[in-house]
Amino acid sequence: MTSLLELRNVSVSFDGFLALNDLNLSLQPGELRAVIGPNGAGKTTFLDVITGKVRPTQGDVFFRGRSLVGTTEHRIARLGIGRKFQTPRVYQNLTARRNLELAVGRRSPFDLLFRGLDGSSQDRVAHLLGVVGLAPQAQQLAGGLSHGQKQWLEIAMLLAQDPDLLLVDEPVAGLSDEETERTGELLRSLAGDHTVLVIEHDMDFISSLDSPVTVLHEGHVLCEGSMEEVQSDPRVIEVYLGVEDELDDGTDSTSNLHDRLSSELQP
Amino acid sequence: MPFSATPPAFVRRWWPWIVIVAAALILPVILPPFRLNLLGRFLSLGIVALGVDLIWGYTGLLSLGQGIFFALGGYAIAMHLSLNSLEPGQLPEFFGLYGVKSLPAFWQPFTSPLFTLVAIWVIPALVAGILGYLVFRNRIKGVYFSILTQAALLVFFNFFNGQQKLINGTNGLKTDTAKVFGELVGSDHMQRNLFWLTVLLVIAAWALCRWLTSGRFGDALVAIRDDEPRMRFTGYNPTVYKTLVFTVAGGLAGISGALYTVQSGIMSPQFMAVPFSIEMVIWVAVGGRGTLLGAVLGAVLINYAKSLISEQLPETWLFVQGALFLLVVTALPDGLVGWWRQGGPGQILAMFGWPPRTATYPGLDLDPSVRAERDALEGPSSTDSTTGGGR
Repeated sequence: MTSLLELRNVSVSFDGFLALNDLNLSLQPGELRAVIGPNGAGKTTFLDVITGKVRPTQGDVFFRGRSLVGTTEHRIARLGIGRKFQTPRVYQNLTARRNLELAVGRRSPFDLLFRGLDGSSQDRVAHLLGVVGLAPQAQQLAGGLSHGQKQWLEIAMLLAQDPDLLLVDEPVAGLSDEETERTGELLRSLAGDHTVLVIEHDMDFISSLDSPVTVLHEGHVLCEGSMEEVQSDPRVIEVYLGVEDELDDGTDSTSNLHDRLSSELQP
Repeated sequence: MPFSATPPAFVRRWWPWIVIVAAALILPVILPPFRLNLLGRFLSLGIVALGVDLIWGYTGLLSLGQGIFFALGGYAIAMHLSLNSLEPGQLPEFFGLYGVKSLPAFWQPFTSPLFTLVAIWVIPALVAGILGYLVFRNRIKGVYFSILTQAALLVFFNFFNGQQKLINGTNGLKTDTAKVFGELVGSDHMQRNLFWLTVLLVIAAWALCRWLTSGRFGDALVAIRDDEPRMRFTGYNPTVYKTLVFTVAGGLAGISGALYTVQSGIMSPQFMAVPFSIEMVIWVAVGGRGTLLGAVLGAVLINYAKSLISEQLPETWLFVQGALFLLVVTALPDGLVGWWRQGGPGQILAMFGWPPRTATYPGLDLDPSVRAERDALEGPSSTDSTTGGGR
């Protein structure tokens, strides 16, 4: 089977600093993949390269066998790659419904001016509002929604775009346990029809996805495998614990991992 | 609205239009020709302000160069009028001063009224479109965009100022002694007709902007203003949208310039000077960004105030204008129209001891903290203008 997305020897250098260093990664159609890595491992740059925001200094990115290097962001999006950002980015001054209406359907000025949304698109918007539980807030300005609701609205916008490949950056940051669980269910249900790549710090969430995990470190792939394999890999432990030692005030996510790794190691 | 009795629904919905139509019908009768002419001029400035609101209020493009397009439209009509009432073989008078013997080639098409009517808006729109495309394609935005538009304005200003042999340079072109349909452009009767024309075109321009900003296209503009990169990742090409609205704003500026020229009697490079284009932004800021009606209101009110104050105390106007701008920036970020829509008048009345009538419990409806909570729940746009706080 040919891969849907393939990164070959991708390096990105910012003034000599290698954010990505000879990165190789491929995704099969329908796959659900989790990507983890300590802060500064290059996770966000990795998404920037795929979506066209950053041009790789070296190497190539292929989507369905076609190189994406040099293609502008909106064209890449139209090829079927959708992205959810780390902090929820919704259009604050539009209602939740109108946020979704922008994400669904065609995107030329002509379409927006002279053609209304067709029935199926309207149904889709209504359906998605239901899926993410925002139907009661449909007419409310997105800026007034709670953090969790914004996260979900952005996920709904991503779905409205109907991309083949979903790049999801920290979907459960700041969500309650219940919301986290529902997000996990949603992403798992999307895999199969869609290819989903999730970047997350929350290790419980990652293991609940029950998917292959890729560990990034200093801009390249440290290892790949199931959550259990990755967690018992001595290099991964070193990378995460090493970071923890250097930083006295490790963030929540790394200390979570610390606890988890320690408990895994103890028996 | 602080009415004691609730007016019928259609009055509440359409009252701005009722006021506008009534004013357009009554004012030409009651105002002396001089004042009517002033009002007509300021209304025509409302059209360029609508364009500024479209690109700045909705799309976030702060252009300080709209004077270019305004003057291009003005020059188009002024050139036509300079040629219009000439005998065959004659040249506009100023050419004689510089020893020009034959009409420059680019003047030729302006002998045609039809060409001129099209050129008034197509030439500024084209220039705006080309300039906009080059700037937006290179992703120049924010303050860099503003500086660039101002630089472009200066280029045009200096060029027009220096071309005596082509367009009479710094003296500009006069139009009030020209004749159209055998009548002087500057005559009272003609000016009244031009006033009607201006009113119609302001309404048409408003309708165009309203149409552009109300549907999904308008949503896309707001989305580009608020988070342009996000739009790209959703599959939109902001360059196309920005170029399009900048072109429309350029065309509107051209129409505005032409109407202003025929009512003021002159078009000169002065309209490409830096302060005039900044003033346009102030009109929109004072009237209310992103409200359309506020742009027209701001243009008319500020210019009327300017002419009234300048008649009495010529040297104070700049201070008043500066104070107005400061007031808007600090106290009325959404301008006059935004203030009105957020219940401003009711709050002022409440401050002086007339709390607005409410249908339910005044103690609850008027309590600022309750209002804030409700606003947060319902969104600020749903705030009813009859509620007010401050007591």
